[in-house]
Amino acid sequence: MTASQPRHDPAARRVLDGYLADLAARLPGPDRARQAVLAELDDGLVDATEVHLAAGLAPVAAARAAIAEFGDPPTLAAAFAPELAGAQARRSALTLVRTGPLVGGLWLVALAASQAPPWRHELTGVWVGLPVVGAAVLTAGLATLLVVAATGRPSRWLPTRPTLAPAAAAAVGIAAVVVDLAMLGMLTGQAVTGPAALAWIPAAVAALASLTRLVLAGRAARRSLAARAALA
Amino acid sequence: MRAETLKGHLDGLLLAVLEAGPLHGYAVIQAVRAGSGGAFDLPTGTVYPALHRLERAGLVRASWSVVGGRRRRAYQLTPAGRRALAGERAAWQTFATAVSALLDPVPTPAPAGP
Repeated sequence: MTASQPRHDPAARRVLDGYLADLAARLPGPDRARQAVLAELDDGLVDATEVHLAAGLAPVAAARAAIAEFGDPPTLAAAFAPELAGAQARRSALTLVRTGPLVGGLWLVALAASQAPPWRHELTGVWVGLPVVGAAVLTAGLATLLVVAATGRPSRWLPTRPTLAPAAAAAVGIAAVVVDLAMLGMLTGQAVTGPAALAWIPAAVAALASLTRLVLAGRAARRSLAARAALA
Repeated sequence: MRAETLKGHLDGLLLAVLEAGPLHGYAVIQAVRAGSGGAFDLPTGTVYPALHRLERAGLVRASWSVVGGRRRRAYQLTPAGRRALAGERAAWQTFATAVSALLDPVPTPAPAGP
């Protein structure tokens, strides 16, 4: 029965592989999700090719007929884009939120080790920016809930706008950028106005963590905005 | 039949062909084609993403398996999917009854004599 199995016909297999490679280059989203889509379509294409072989087509013609049935790569990629963009948004938002406790913890240590932790007295001097950080953290949390809802079961009851998840993921990224910029700004201010009050080593560690995340969050926000624009 | 005509009923059709048991993606397409007597030849590009959307919404569950050395992804209805299918059926009955009442040819009244 080898003849009815297109995966054993190298020429037919090459036709299918060429199509899948073209599609792979157009699919957005995280690698794992894209690979899963490609593996599933591969299996479906082999099924479709077998149907056409059974109908009497030669292997390569059967593979081409299967491809015609599946549609041209741009159209197929566009059909998968909302789901894959959702997967990307979910991963991006959850990754950023997971960095929250670590970066936040490092800043708490740095501030607690300083001479006058800002929570021991009324917010004065450079630390008046702390409420901005609180608001940004709250925004990031709420936007993450929205991403999780839009890309999970609650999506059944949500308006099915595919741009919602990437937009909310972009909000998470922007909020993280605001948090990191505000913390680094306040630290710089303190270093200029009252360097003696700082515990330098924990402050440097926290600043390094924030700098790293600032870059990652900025990149994630840009990618989410691009994904949103591609879907709109 | 045009794809746009089916828009809005696609989810119901997919849930319906999965009612009898789990199927993989291409088998779902074939089942819709066969079940509609060839009238609904769904573009593949709409079926796979729609199945993924139903999975995300918790109406179907997907699982990978290896059959004959090939990785396959099979879909099966979840309890929520069965409830959604029942809802789609009820909504369709109401709609179809109303449309039939309006579109079915009415017996023309006998022409009045001169």
